[in-house]
Amino acid sequence: MEKNVAIVGYKMMNALDLVTSRERLTFDLTRGLFNELGIDRLAVDTTILDSNDFLDGRTISNVFLDPQAGVYMRDESKVEMDGLNAVLYACMRILSGQYQTAMVMALGLTGSQVSPYLHIEYTLDPTYDRQVKLLNELSAAALQARSYLAKYGYSEELLDGVAAQNLGNAALNPYQARRISGISKDQVKGSAYYYEPLRELHCFPPSDGGCAVLLASEEKAKELTDKPVWIKGMGQSIETYFLGERDLFTSTSTTQAAKRAYDLAGVTDPKKQVAFAEISSLFAHQEPLLAEALGLLDKGQAAGAYQVGETAIDGKLPINPSGGPLGAHPISATGLVRLAEAARQLRGEAGDNQVREAGMAVVHGQDGACAQQNAVVVLGI
Amino acid sequence: MRNVGIIGIGYTPVFVSKRKDVNIPEMISEAVDNAFANTGLTAADIDAVVFGNMQTFEGVNLPHLWAADYIASLGKPVMRIATGGTTGMSAFHAGYYHITSGLHDVVMVVTYEKQSEGDSQVGLMGIITPELMAMLSAGIDVTGGSGMGAIGGGSAGGISFQASSYLHHSGAGIEHIDAQAALERRNAAKNPYAHLKDPEATAEKIAQTPMVSWPIRFGHICPTSDGATVAILASEKAAAKIADKVAWVHAVANCASDATTANLIESQITDPAEQMPAIIASRQAYERAGIKDPKREIDYVEIYNGFAHQALMYLEKVGMCEVGEAHKLQEAGELEMSGRMPVNASGGVVSTNAIGTSAMNRVTECALQILGRAGEHQVEKEVHKALAHGWGGLMQYVTITILGDKPKKG
Repeated sequence: MEKNVAIVGYKMMNALDLVTSRERLTFDLTRGLFNELGIDRLAVDTTILDSNDFLDGRTISNVFLDPQAGVYMRDESKVEMDGLNAVLYACMRILSGQYQTAMVMALGLTGSQVSPYLHIEYTLDPTYDRQVKLLNELSAAALQARSYLAKYGYSEELLDGVAAQNLGNAALNPYQARRISGISKDQVKGSAYYYEPLRELHCFPPSDGGCAVLLASEEKAKELTDKPVWIKGMGQSIETYFLGERDLFTSTSTTQAAKRAYDLAGVTDPKKQVAFAEISSLFAHQEPLLAEALGLLDKGQAAGAYQVGETAIDGKLPINPSGGPLGAHPISATGLVRLAEAARQLRGEAGDNQVREAGMAVVHGQDGACAQQNAVVVLGI
Repeated sequence: MRNVGIIGIGYTPVFVSKRKDVNIPEMISEAVDNAFANTGLTAADIDAVVFGNMQTFEGVNLPHLWAADYIASLGKPVMRIATGGTTGMSAFHAGYYHITSGLHDVVMVVTYEKQSEGDSQVGLMGIITPELMAMLSAGIDVTGGSGMGAIGGGSAGGISFQASSYLHHSGAGIEHIDAQAALERRNAAKNPYAHLKDPEATAEKIAQTPMVSWPIRFGHICPTSDGATVAILASEKAAAKIADKVAWVHAVANCASDATTANLIESQITDPAEQMPAIIASRQAYERAGIKDPKREIDYVEIYNGFAHQALMYLEKVGMCEVGEAHKLQEAGELEMSGRMPVNASGGVVSTNAIGTSAMNRVTECALQILGRAGEHQVEKEVHKALAHGWGGLMQYVTITILGDKPKKG
């Protein structure tokens, strides 16, 4: 990238039920971020909001969040996707030279919804896929899980291991919503099947949450923080809507997005250069699947890697040391939370979740059934 | 900042009430194919795609996922922008920033609406319903003035407050709204991509249409349309290689005020015809474009007017004339295609409203005028610089784009 853009501050909140409104959550996140940075709203040149209007139950929902986000007689736009894409857009606005600072604010209040899976159900073709009712977020994910396990001959035990590791990390993390102390593989295995082979504890929990991040140009970043986290690269890609036309055991669009991000960041050997990753894996199987697509795990080696603790907080290449989306999935904000969690690590603020070496991080966000669309950001210090 | 130009435009063959022959992605693909046919470009030339439509209107969430296979986007970055009525121009702005960031060279912006597959007024009522519920639960009287706008139904209820305030402050009369609607429906008759066309439209004819909510008559209101619009943008370097003629982006700007001060509920306190965001965004755009005297320097204007009075009102707000002057320019014939300050030669939103495309079409129509490719609705004067305007949200969110026939200097 021609210029450097930094993350100068972040604020996040997650809970199974935040008992709040979208407006209040937006205000709390914005005010919290401003207070921590010692700035007021006039220090923010442009704002990118991100939430899902279907989930919010109203159209043009961004305009009702403008005042709470400090946008009054100022510039704001909205990305309606996973929050990591809003970071991409905010970054572009700074890279263009038009703006020096940009706030990204994403939220998803899912805990109080009738079903946390409806928002994906309503992305489906309304005349066939949605009517036949065979396809939904869970059934699609289960197909993907089966395809992945079968491809490499893994047993369902891999899912239990991945979930137990994530939920164990989440239990240590005050920013997570689902925190089960003393979580074990047996406990995961004992949870009920939602859609075989996916069990309750293999799946993200319905939860509420949001995240606000302030980005700044290099010049401004130095004024605002002494702990900038730099955006080294970013990429995004989409693949076909039709599940039958995809290789479900991998994620082609994640690999494409990662290549773009790695090229910008000068990453040629991700396994060696990347210190840890925060991946939006909404279901247990997606973590190794996406880690492979990101070039962080060798294909077919996931079972062994998880068994020896390679991806644990103290492992060779920690994946989701925060606990990942199995701890909280505030739809639309999840990728932005991953970014904030990575920044937290890179600033050495991750407490019990702190990884040993935090040099370069890969952050991932997804949209659509079986991660049809994926965004990747590379961070460094 | 890098220069960005519009190198291609694509429309669906028609903008009509109901496309029964295609579904949503099929309809969008027609505009994509048209943009490729117009430019000779192919999917391989496109680095990234920006996508936008009105959130939730057709009951499909994140429709770019379903449409991905139909918009030449597989394997590319696709960004979905959603800001309501202004989505089309907000998406265009996102395309602009994709290129000015230095990350991409050729970006396709895809916008659409297929309003026949939903109920727009129900969708628009959805904006205000939570506010109304909040008022009811707080014990606020919704039967008096404060609730009237909300209960007035969809967008026309709130807009009537704005229109009556505009008439009061400008000295214009309802006959000027009639005349503006007639002018634009006549223009629409010359635009193959317009929806409501009437070559014989007159103020008198419009005045005979039923009153919906004073001073807004049926004839002042936009239709609900099905259609899609695509714009292909390129960096100066890429444009030199793959485009013959380019409409250059000189500035983009947008501004939002408080939904609860601009809206119907609080309309006693804040005037929905004040439109500070339009004033702020246009000034910012002029500054970015190096325009000192818009009245002299801007040759052509496309105003987003879902309701006919807005063409007049926003001409004043964006500084193309003084307050109270727009209707006088109209009387003098200056707003016509043959006039000194032509506005909405396309027929405007009042003639065609496939919402996701509506703010985008303001930009593409300005580009066609600059390129001299507007065909029968090409204005008589030469167009060197043009201004496109969009409004959305709860009448408090405004986008502006300024185009020119030469790349921006400096």
